Amino acid sequence: METINILLGGVGGQGLVLTTDIICKAAFKEGYDVKSNDVIGLAQRGGMVWGSVRFGRKVHSPNIPVGKAHYVLGLEPLEAQRWDHLLNEQSVVIVNTKEVHPTPALLEKVDYPTDEIKEFYERYENYTSNFSNDAKKLGNRKAANTVLIGIMARFLPISVETWKEILKENVPPKAIEVNMKAFDFGYSEFENE
Amino acid sequence: MSNQERTVLTGNQGVARGFYEAGGLVAASYPGSPTVEILESIKEYKEVYSEFSTSEKVALEVAIGGSFAGVRSMASMKHVGVNIAADPLMTFTQTKTNGGFVLLSGDDPGMASSQNEQDNRILGKFANMGILVPADSQEAKDFTKTAFDLSEDYHLPMMVNITSRVCHSRTPVVLGERKDVQAKAFEKDVERYCMIPPHTHKLQHDMKNRIEKLKELAYDSELNVLEEKKGADTLVITSGLVYHNLKELNPPVSIYKLGMVYPISPKKIQELSDKYENIIVVEELMPLIENEVKLMGVSCEGKKYFPFTGELHTEVIEEGLLEAGVLSERKTSDKKPAASVKRPPLFCAGCPHRPIFDILKKLRKRVIGDIGCYSMAMFEPFQASDSIISMGATLGITKGMSKANGLVGNSEPLVSVIGDGTMFHSGLPGFVNLLHQKDDAENMTFIILDNRTTAMTGGQPTAASGNYAKEDDMKVDIKAILKTMGHENVKEVDQFDYEATKEVIKTETNTPGISFIIAKRPCALKFKIQENTFYVNPNVCIGCRNCVKTNCPPIRMKKYKNIDKLKSSIDPDMCAGCSVCAQVCPVDAIQPKGQHPDHSKKGSAKYKRKEYEKYDLNND
Repeated sequence: METINILLGGVGGQGLVLTTDIICKAAFKEGYDVKSNDVIGLAQRGGMVWGSVRFGRKVHSPNIPVGKAHYVLGLEPLEAQRWDHLLNEQSVVIVNTKEVHPTPALLEKVDYPTDEIKEFYERYENYTSNFSNDAKKLGNRKAANTVLIGIMARFLPISVETWKEILKENVPPKAIEVNMKAFDFGYSEFENE
Repeated sequence: MSNQERTVLTGNQGVARGFYEAGGLVAASYPGSPTVEILESIKEYKEVYSEFSTSEKVALEVAIGGSFAGVRSMASMKHVGVNIAADPLMTFTQTKTNGGFVLLSGDDPGMASSQNEQDNRILGKFANMGILVPADSQEAKDFTKTAFDLSEDYHLPMMVNITSRVCHSRTPVVLGERKDVQAKAFEKDVERYCMIPPHTHKLQHDMKNRIEKLKELAYDSELNVLEEKKGADTLVITSGLVYHNLKELNPPVSIYKLGMVYPISPKKIQELSDKYENIIVVEELMPLIENEVKLMGVSCEGKKYFPFTGELHTEVIEEGLLEAGVLSERKTSDKKPAASVKRPPLFCAGCPHRPIFDILKKLRKRVIGDIGCYSMAMFEPFQASDSIISMGATLGITKGMSKANGLVGNSEPLVSVIGDGTMFHSGLPGFVNLLHQKDDAENMTFIILDNRTTAMTGGQPTAASGNYAKEDDMKVDIKAILKTMGHENVKEVDQFDYEATKEVIKTETNTPGISFIIAKRPCALKFKIQENTFYVNPNVCIGCRNCVKTNCPPIRMKKYKNIDKLKSSIDPDMCAGCSVCAQVCPVDAIQPKGQHPDHSKKGSAKYKRKEYEKYDLNND
């Protein structure tokens, strides 16, 4: 099989490292060779962060080659759009549209690039919504990343059982139930599209 | 645990596991990206002694102590940490190592989170150490174990040099059992352990000899792998993650992947050069391998085709190989990232540094910064940090600038900022040094940002954390230290009382002499603020942006329904409740959730912070 490349983009503090870890462990449990990356920038919170997971028969580099990403999981819209150059026409874009404005936008030096982001979505097969709101309704807005995983899971050769097992092992015990709900929600949300 | 259990680990976790499986007993570190997770992972192993020391120098010394006592010991640190640890290292390395000793250095090509890009392989060679470079988590584990064996077999300290990408990357790892290693008793031997001349004269030769012996080992060591491709006339020598990036290209070359990058076997290189027409070295940062090969009289190219700075991603390697004529056509995409809005890091919601730098910005002071989260004060909108060099450097630099200013007739007051972790790391000698040749006409104000943790690396304890958290055991009193040193003017402030803090900083920076201000609010990530979140009443807000200029993540200008002008807003999901925005608001438009004061009477809506003591974790 061709190596599957998943790119994650987000803001420091959104749980990107844990999300990367979970995808990585699920792929590994399913028997694939896997490599991942997550780069923690200068700060604990607020700065741009990104991660990558690659899995398949044999993976060399953890870095996704330019133009070869199959999926982008955007924990924040601008941080998904930032990786446009890694995508191709077949790529699938899955984004939590809850915006976190960066300093230049907070200080009104630039506008938050809402139109560019919309145009970015339209160029790809995309699944976008404010999943923080959905997760909040399910019990905890922090489970938004698990909704994203649920949406992506429908496309990936990894079983639902594996996903759920890995989620259970890796989220805080108190949050297991809401994460199960969030995964199911994401998995079924776009079923009919 | 079965012998063949497989799991996924980061490179950092791989090193920790390698230390454990090698029978390591003493591990010390100072938190720094990219290696902070190594000691955190080692802490899970209860049979091991581990500590975050007060500095890398102390960590290295703790590990030397462990090695002297005959047990396997490791010091792990980020690349620049080795600079401060270099003093004991450069002398310790002369001794005949007893218990296995590994120095783990985390380098940061591309500087994702570092103040410089130094290549510590150069320092490893300088210190006459053998250097292993792992390419993934399996090798991080295996090479750490091998490093301990080599350290004991060849009686030298070994360096494991790992790059930030490999530290954070996750790859599959086969776990092994922990080895039981007998301690080798420390026997009194002054020639071996007391490093004074003439003992050190002979040791220069010993250091040379042990590297010569390692060269013999390198000839056919399993650490170095030759992958020959049929018909290839070019050999690429590489190491670490660069090997995997190179493999992505499946180039028509043979590859000699060095697990041990120093020393290299001249015999092997000679043999390979007889076999291949071209030798190309692909390595990140400095041309260490390239120069070693050239010193052997073998011609090769490296930095001619590959950058000396940044990471060597697959695309960059391809470009170099195209230029070298090894590849004939580009396979990777050369699409470049489009310009998009930048997202520089910023102080967290509720960060206690925010009011300090908002005040310093407003007072327009010259600020000599240091290393920590507060380094971010250099960014917009504060721009209240005029220099950042290295841990603890602010003290000496501030004094030197002040003395120089005095000599040329410049009486500008200087402000120096330093965190508690950095103060204990390397600030204390600088604080003492201020007492020497004091001049009451000089105006220096030292602000100690005592947030009670090493925040930037994820909240490890400092020597003062025990005052506030039960699980931490060091309870050093910063005020008492300064007083005991002989500094007289030491004040404490609660920076969430904005006006009072501003008054103290204003007074001290306007008054000649040396003064100290300890800002006592703790890190908002580690010690949650027990307050309501705040909201903006758009009907009261005048749109002045005082709150926005404190650059708090949840605060931004927003269009409200039926109001023409933009008004401020606070995202309740992100607000931590520090109240700083409410205190800088001139019209009291910002209030705690649930409070709706009458704004018709002037001053009646002014938000008043509760007494600081109520939030002191001492009193819980």
